[in-house]
Amino acid sequence: MINLGAELKEKIISFIIIGAATVSSLLLLAMLIYILRESWPIWSQIGVSAFLTGSTWRPLNTPPEIGILSMIASTMWVAGGALLIAAPLGIGCAVFLAEFAPSSLAAVLRPVVNMLTGIPSVVYGFLGAAVLVKFFEVKFDLASGESLFAASLILAIMVIPFIIANSEAALRSVASEYRHAGIALGVSKPYLTMRVLVPLARKGMLGALVLAFGRAMGETMAVLMLAGNILRFPGSWFDKGEPLAALIALELGSSIPGSFHYQALFAAGLVLVVMVIAVNAVINLLLNRIQNEV
Amino acid sequence: MKKTMIDYLLMAWFWSSGLLILVILLAIIVYLIWRGGAFVNLEFILESPSGFPLGTEGGIFPAIKGTLWLILLALVLSIVPGLMTAIYLSEYGRSGRLAAFISLLVQSMAGVPSIITGLFVYALGVVTLGWGISLLAGGLALAIMVFPVIVVSSRNALLAIDENYRLVASSLGVSKSYTLYRIILPRAIPGILAGILLALGYAAGATAPIMVTAAAIIASSSGALLEPVMALPYHLYILFTEHSSIHHAYATALVLVCLVLFLNILALSLSSLQERINR
Repeated sequence: MINLGAELKEKIISFIIIGAATVSSLLLLAMLIYILRESWPIWSQIGVSAFLTGSTWRPLNTPPEIGILSMIASTMWVAGGALLIAAPLGIGCAVFLAEFAPSSLAAVLRPVVNMLTGIPSVVYGFLGAAVLVKFFEVKFDLASGESLFAASLILAIMVIPFIIANSEAALRSVASEYRHAGIALGVSKPYLTMRVLVPLARKGMLGALVLAFGRAMGETMAVLMLAGNILRFPGSWFDKGEPLAALIALELGSSIPGSFHYQALFAAGLVLVVMVIAVNAVINLLLNRIQNEV
Repeated sequence: MKKTMIDYLLMAWFWSSGLLILVILLAIIVYLIWRGGAFVNLEFILESPSGFPLGTEGGIFPAIKGTLWLILLALVLSIVPGLMTAIYLSEYGRSGRLAAFISLLVQSMAGVPSIITGLFVYALGVVTLGWGISLLAGGLALAIMVFPVIVVSSRNALLAIDENYRLVASSLGVSKSYTLYRIILPRAIPGILAGILLALGYAAGATAPIMVTAAAIIASSSGALLEPVMALPYHLYILFTEHSSIHHAYATALVLVCLVLFLNILALSLSSLQERINR
């Protein structure tokens, strides 16, 4: 070795970088473990199934009744509903951007999609509550217009940009030979898109939808301001409800640290984060299978 | 090429969903300006909220200050770990198993709902470490939230640098750290900065994590680490939910959106600058 000192210096630098990267990314695991620890008394005393399937939430009663089934149902209604509205629009817009939009229009539309992701969720929630909910109240003569549906509608606008960006990337990654072959065979462009390009890009598009679903499940502010915050099992999309994220945001500040109520909120948080991570994991498995088929 | 009915229907679907997105953004901005524009003036920006209920008169100066403090602190706390992780992923551990694991963790972290980050910091900082509702706790929560954004965007900026620079440098016997510091990093600066601005915009608008860790209805936002602060998004939430002043709520929303979009547009122009450099 010509220069042992320099070699050592390189070693030290790479060691520091590896160390810093490892430590900071382990933060995620630390977070999960910490939340699990804070919520441990719930799991050991009440039990996983009782907590997940109980539908009354009265943590301040003696003995406290804590079950989060209503909140889980609200979360699923809100996120599923948002996806139902956002998927056709988002995919339509992605196809438009990738295949049909005149380049001048696409040059405007892409930054617009980007800016929509930038608008804070509290602004969406505020506009939804001030405009949409008011509209429902006047139009359908309701005492209060909040509902899971209103929350879904606003969440849909919030997740559409993610669907567009990821689906467009998936469509663009389809090799252009397919397009050339389609044109050479005289197939119409919409037919080519729907029958050839979209199926080829379905892996990426499905991933985009799942990502959007995960985001919608964890969204707090818009849901808090629009879903009505009623602790009851939602019977339909047009009922009021209180999704998990809203429950935590509303009650955390008033719960006494160390109390059953406090621990139950951490347990609810753990359930939410596990749901989000599970959705992502399931889709990864599913996508691998699709890939293997092709 | 004969066009059928279905072709026309499909085209109608693609065009209308594309144009609808455009209309939605325009509608949001125009509506905010229409309802809030008249109330945004120098006095509104530079005065503290007053009146009863609070916020019906005066302005939002402490909220602006608080938001700036929060995002600054989030940046200070997340930039070094974020950059180090990005450098590791792009330069040191491209194909290793550890790198794959770290990538996976960072990706999952990006998917963690922000309220969960808030919950964690509440338990750790606010309760266990006794910081109370404070600027420090809010800054930490936001830092954890933007960490994956900084990692992913900086890693992409570094990976986009022409591989030949690395090959030539190492064939000339230049050390890895010197190459990184003098050649790779300087070229990736616009892209890294773009990622940081994006992260700042994201932090400025985040409400859920600070609502449980840092925000107060009224505070001077002096920048003291262990005191609660006001913040624009939380102020907007309070103005609306407490029915204080709908006019000031629209005006606050307008100021917040302008701040965030300004950061986003700056980030967009920096990343297009980066693309030109790479070409």
